[in-house]
Amino acid sequence: MAQQQSQPAAPAASAFVGSAVCKGCHPDVWLNFYKNPHYKSIASGTEPPERTGCEGCHGPGKQHVEARGGKTTIPHAFSLMDTKQTLDTCLNCHGKDFGKVNIRRSSHTMADVACTACHSIHKSTVPIHLLARKQSELCYTCHIDVRAQFSMPFKHRVNEGVIQCADCHNPHGSFAPTWRMGDRPHMVQQALGNEIPCVKCHTDKRGPWVFEHSPVRVEGCETCHQPHGSMNAKLLRRPVVFTLCLECHNDPAPPDRGSGVIAQSATHNMLDPRYRQCTACHVRIHGSNADQNFLR
Amino acid sequence: MRTAIPILLFLAPALIAQQPVAPTPEQVGPARGTNVDDYNITDSVELGYRFADVAGNRGVYRSDVNYGNGIRLLGSSFTMNSKDGHGRFFDEIVLNTIGLGNDPYESARLRVQKNRLYDYNMLWRLNDYYNPALNVAFGEHLMNTRRLLQDHDLVLLPQSKLQFHFGYANNNQNGPALTSIQTFDTRSGFFPLFANIRRSFNEYRLGADINLAGFKLTLMHRWEYFKDDTPLRLDGSITNPFDTTVLQSFTRAEPTHGRSPSWLGNLIANKKWWAVNARFVYTDGNLGFIQNDFSTGIDRIGNNINRQVLIQGEAHRPFSTGDLALSLFPGDRLTVVNNTSFYNQRIDGNSTFLQFDALTQTANVVDFQLLGVRTIANATDLHYKLSNWISVYAGYHYSDRRIQTIGGFAVPGSPADQTFAEITNHQNVGAFGFRLRPIKPLTINVDGEVGRMDVAYTPITDKDYHAITARAQYKVKKLLFSAGYREKYNNNSVTLTTFSSRSRDYMANAGWNPNDRFSLDASYSKIHLDTVGGINFFAAVPRVTLVSGLDSIYVSNVHAATLSARFAVSKRVDLFAGYSITKDTGDGRNSPLPLVTTDPIAQLLIPVQTFPLSFQSPMARISIKITPKVRWNAGWQFYNYHEDFGLFGTYQNYHANTGYTSVLWSF
Repeated sequence: MAQQQSQPAAPAASAFVGSAVCKGCHPDVWLNFYKNPHYKSIASGTEPPERTGCEGCHGPGKQHVEARGGKTTIPHAFSLMDTKQTLDTCLNCHGKDFGKVNIRRSSHTMADVACTACHSIHKSTVPIHLLARKQSELCYTCHIDVRAQFSMPFKHRVNEGVIQCADCHNPHGSFAPTWRMGDRPHMVQQALGNEIPCVKCHTDKRGPWVFEHSPVRVEGCETCHQPHGSMNAKLLRRPVVFTLCLECHNDPAPPDRGSGVIAQSATHNMLDPRYRQCTACHVRIHGSNADQNFLR
Repeated sequence: MRTAIPILLFLAPALIAQQPVAPTPEQVGPARGTNVDDYNITDSVELGYRFADVAGNRGVYRSDVNYGNGIRLLGSSFTMNSKDGHGRFFDEIVLNTIGLGNDPYESARLRVQKNRLYDYNMLWRLNDYYNPALNVAFGEHLMNTRRLLQDHDLVLLPQSKLQFHFGYANNNQNGPALTSIQTFDTRSGFFPLFANIRRSFNEYRLGADINLAGFKLTLMHRWEYFKDDTPLRLDGSITNPFDTTVLQSFTRAEPTHGRSPSWLGNLIANKKWWAVNARFVYTDGNLGFIQNDFSTGIDRIGNNINRQVLIQGEAHRPFSTGDLALSLFPGDRLTVVNNTSFYNQRIDGNSTFLQFDALTQTANVVDFQLLGVRTIANATDLHYKLSNWISVYAGYHYSDRRIQTIGGFAVPGSPADQTFAEITNHQNVGAFGFRLRPIKPLTINVDGEVGRMDVAYTPITDKDYHAITARAQYKVKKLLFSAGYREKYNNNSVTLTTFSSRSRDYMANAGWNPNDRFSLDASYSKIHLDTVGGINFFAAVPRVTLVSGLDSIYVSNVHAATLSARFAVSKRVDLFAGYSITKDTGDGRNSPLPLVTTDPIAQLLIPVQTFPLSFQSPMARISIKITPKVRWNAGWQFYNYHEDFGLFGTYQNYHANTGYTSVLWSF
């Protein structure tokens, strides 16, 4: 089969030996390399040697060949490289990908998580993105508490495979959130240009509305919801809705958000069960076009 | 021609959480593939039958699990790769599907690409959503909808200096639901209504990437359209349990159409000693609506009501976002990144309200509101490698935000009544962390963050907080062990109200794969949360008065554990067994109201301070190789949801036996 494949481009510079030489000693790697996205560099035949095939990532192979192998003779032996060296090497080609523009300041980079912690270039079992494993399993390896959240009774369907972590997060780093104070949460993907990722699917919560429930816009959906998973239905932070509302709407004074949000109406006798179901009347709690109290 | 492709199934410990028992992780053995002309093809199809036997609250089962009976294409995978990278029409096709044929969660992912010419990616998803919503409106907001999402993305000339992007996304939500309305006056009760949800969202994208002089410029324009034509209605007379109001008929037509064109520009350069990225996004959100309610009934004091309400108007949200990130690499050991962001959105709109009671116009009010949010944030992050085994991280983040609100109304012929409020708040955050790698398999990460905000927007906002995260991981080829701790304390106490929350998470997991015949995976997390928030509300003690100085307390202690093992009993037989439990022990009490009290306020607040429940799921699976290409699989998964206290006196408990049998064919 190997003979049926195109021959790798010949090296142009003296230190480069070409992928055909690598194939001689590493047939196991070469065997499936045509399925690897990096094979495009060989197939194109137009890339310079420093961006082609094996040497595109590992550097010129002349010294390695002359030494008859050995990791230390490979200019870029990833198992011997630190996070920054790995990142620099990958960013030689991927540094201008729009999805990776924030990788230098991402939490992963700052925590010394190298590209190769998640991507397996030669032994990937996931054909797209060369992930070392299925995406959720990969993330759960470190984010154990998140793994527990997705095992709660009410959760987004990540384990079921219909949603992936990267639908909401950018593991390569994200732009500053356009909600809250621009600091937290980290690594959350913006959707539809510049909005909280929730509205990518929950388009009916996007608005704009004449009467916004301002915390939704200002502080984000996490004010009331736990997005990964919750022990409470509707992914709410509290088992019943009135405590959720009253913890903010607790100020009897006129609105001064330094000291709380205006309290509920004096007609709301909380000992009457109907007033404990705030959203039964305030049905448009995310925002309304017709009523400033979200009643219709 | 057949080619052996050596794929090790268990290269490293796999952490799989509480996966559904099916589809079966492919264990046919090494994928061989078949060569056809200049292509290599691999394929895998799992066809099977699911069953589910549910006892107890089927509504919550559908909310949590939702698998039903029937034949399914449980999973499939197809790849086709050109062996020389010079296919005629394509060089690669990858297609993966899950649950096609009536599972509640279905997806299909397709990639077709030809080197240098095009790269097409498609994602199609379906989510059957059911929620009885007992906790938000006595179950009167039940939803039984189906959401279909698809996204198509095409890049032309993906390896050239000039690339073109085309995209289309669609999101439809349809299905029956309940909602409620409170009507006739502000003190009457609420009534359930039937809603036939019909929502759709369409997005079209057009853009280009231009590589020039070491910079890459990305330009993208989006056209987004949203439509909601959900009608509401009530057929037949209904009373509510709280007062004498009767709603005899109700219909609502509420067409809402929105469009949000947006523009994105991004410029990036990535050099040896520095990198820069600048982004600008502008989204012009617009939404027009009209609402027509018609209702008849009897109000609280016995008047016959025949009412039409017409509301119309429009809302706008111009939204600008900009980012400028500058990265410096003054040596091999140091990275410094400074990022400045701003975002500015102004949401305004007007809503004209007309009410006709028995054809008499009683109100003509224009309500309007503005919410403006402007934030400028600057973050400087520094990473320094001290030696081969230790590196440090430090960061300082500053944010300045101004929120303006204007609310008001105008009655024709009278001066407009407006209230204006403005809040400016600032946040300072300092962060520090270090990474240790004393030996190659062992990594230790510790991070700390302290934040201070002068004015918090809501009483539960992170105001004065600190967060600590620590994690250690030991990883060798056959063994993974990691343990971590995370805490976050927030204190948002101001003059009139107090709020504090404390979360502490403890976690550990382990994976062990001594050989390819056996693997073991275990994890445990404890997620603790306790919050205390000062609340005020009105209550009848003995008449409706403001009750203040109370605390809303919430305590949650979630213990989550998983254990799973896989055995290759023989060359033909694989066994898998797993168990998962998530249990909230609450604050340890045995009953919702442990103290005997006649105080109605205590009876209101104490039972909602904690909500212990458990959700557990054992599962087992057997997979037998019939031929080198065919396996037979069968699995069972049990779900048990148990609320210790019930919600409003209602226990939503259920248990379910689910399972499947399937045939997996692959090559």
